[in-house]
Amino acid sequence: MNALTVAGLTKTYPSFTLDRVSFTLERGRIMGLIGKNGAGKSTTLKSILNLVSPDGGRIELLGMPFPAQETACKQKTGVVLGGIDFFQHKRLEAITAVTRRFYREWDQGAYERYLREFGLDTRKRVSELSAGMRVKYLIALALSHGAELFLFDEPTSGLDPVSRDELLELFRALAADGSRSILFSTHITSDLERCADSITYIKDGKVLACAEKEAFLRSFQHLRAPEDTAPLTLEDIMIRTERRTLHV
Amino acid sequence: MSDLLYKELRLAAHPSLFIFMCMGALVLIPAYPYGAVFFFGCLGLFQSAMFDRETRDVFYTALLPRPKRDVIKGKLLLAVFAQTAQLAMSLPFAFLRALYLPEGNPVGIEPNAAWYGFGWMIYGVFNLIFFTRFFKTAYKAGTAFLTALVPVTLGIFAMEAAVHFPGMAWLDGTDGASLLRQVPVLLAGVLMYAAANALAYWISAKRFERVDL
Repeated sequence: MNALTVAGLTKTYPSFTLDRVSFTLERGRIMGLIGKNGAGKSTTLKSILNLVSPDGGRIELLGMPFPAQETACKQKTGVVLGGIDFFQHKRLEAITAVTRRFYREWDQGAYERYLREFGLDTRKRVSELSAGMRVKYLIALALSHGAELFLFDEPTSGLDPVSRDELLELFRALAADGSRSILFSTHITSDLERCADSITYIKDGKVLACAEKEAFLRSFQHLRAPEDTAPLTLEDIMIRTERRTLHV
Repeated sequence: MSDLLYKELRLAAHPSLFIFMCMGALVLIPAYPYGAVFFFGCLGLFQSAMFDRETRDVFYTALLPRPKRDVIKGKLLLAVFAQTAQLAMSLPFAFLRALYLPEGNPVGIEPNAAWYGFGWMIYGVFNLIFFTRFFKTAYKAGTAFLTALVPVTLGIFAMEAAVHFPGMAWLDGTDGASLLRQVPVLLAGVLMYAAANALAYWISAKRFERVDL
């Protein structure tokens, strides 16, 4: 069974169209969603969660149709969309006290363990946290309710290299037993080289490529120039695919 | 307590909402347009809606493991809680007024059964217009409030003015016979309030499903 199936996801705005985006994420796998700013990564993730109302397409989370089984799907999904930007003046303990009531499988022990691991003080207010700590707090919440699918939007943005390294290690550990799957968007391509099993590349609202990481890298080697001595990296591929001349 | 209401009270409600919930005590002022109590009730919900926008509560709630439309359920639960609490808290003050200020209110209506009936009606109209307008976008609280304020103000003025007409004087009484005659107004108010909230939920939820957060 797939952890996530996205088929023909479409959303039209006046100046942008997410055009029939389709991909599948198998259980126990980590998929990276790449694309430059404004390519449609966040719109894809928000449409998957019904935060943005799609014009068409089919979504299945953990084998359940979404949004038909919205509550059951969300119980099993951990979501981090950027850093926490709600309830800036509330203490973390107040936000947690509310959030935990909504999850049937809330694991207080796991939550406290992640707080210790991430060095989070729940008496602090959200506004007192650094960008990295805000992401870590949301990740601690997402990891504490028995989620089997994690959707992360730019989870490593704003993190220092050590925290990023720890987070990527955590991703690998989460997916290691084959029961949990991760879809995360990023434009930090080195993160994907380190921990993604497969990659979906979105360009101008369309899926340009979706494949296992090695196959994905191979499929773009035609972009190599004669002077290139090494295979193209993900960053090279993105730059050569997206590069345009600015006329200023 | 419902998890949604707990969330509203702990994270989403603006502190001024709780202050406005105590405004029922204004019925102890000897001469005052008591319809203002309902205006304060509406103002508290408007302040809370602006606070929700500032704190991005709607986005947080939409991520919780509940259907997207439960965002509306939470807001209506808070409104019903605040409005019911305000009217319930005004009751002892209305009794005290009847006991110690029996000469009546020269400005407008007395805080009697009819006043409570009109209160439910006004709150029903406010909830129906305010929430259905607000959840078209989930951020235009000012437009929604001003739109809802028009019928609310007209309703308050009509209520306060009606008791000055001799034929409607029974609406102003606090004696047993007048109160008994006012019971249908009270019941009509409660029924209108329930129907308006159900309709507000249905329309708001339908509109909010299409809102992109």
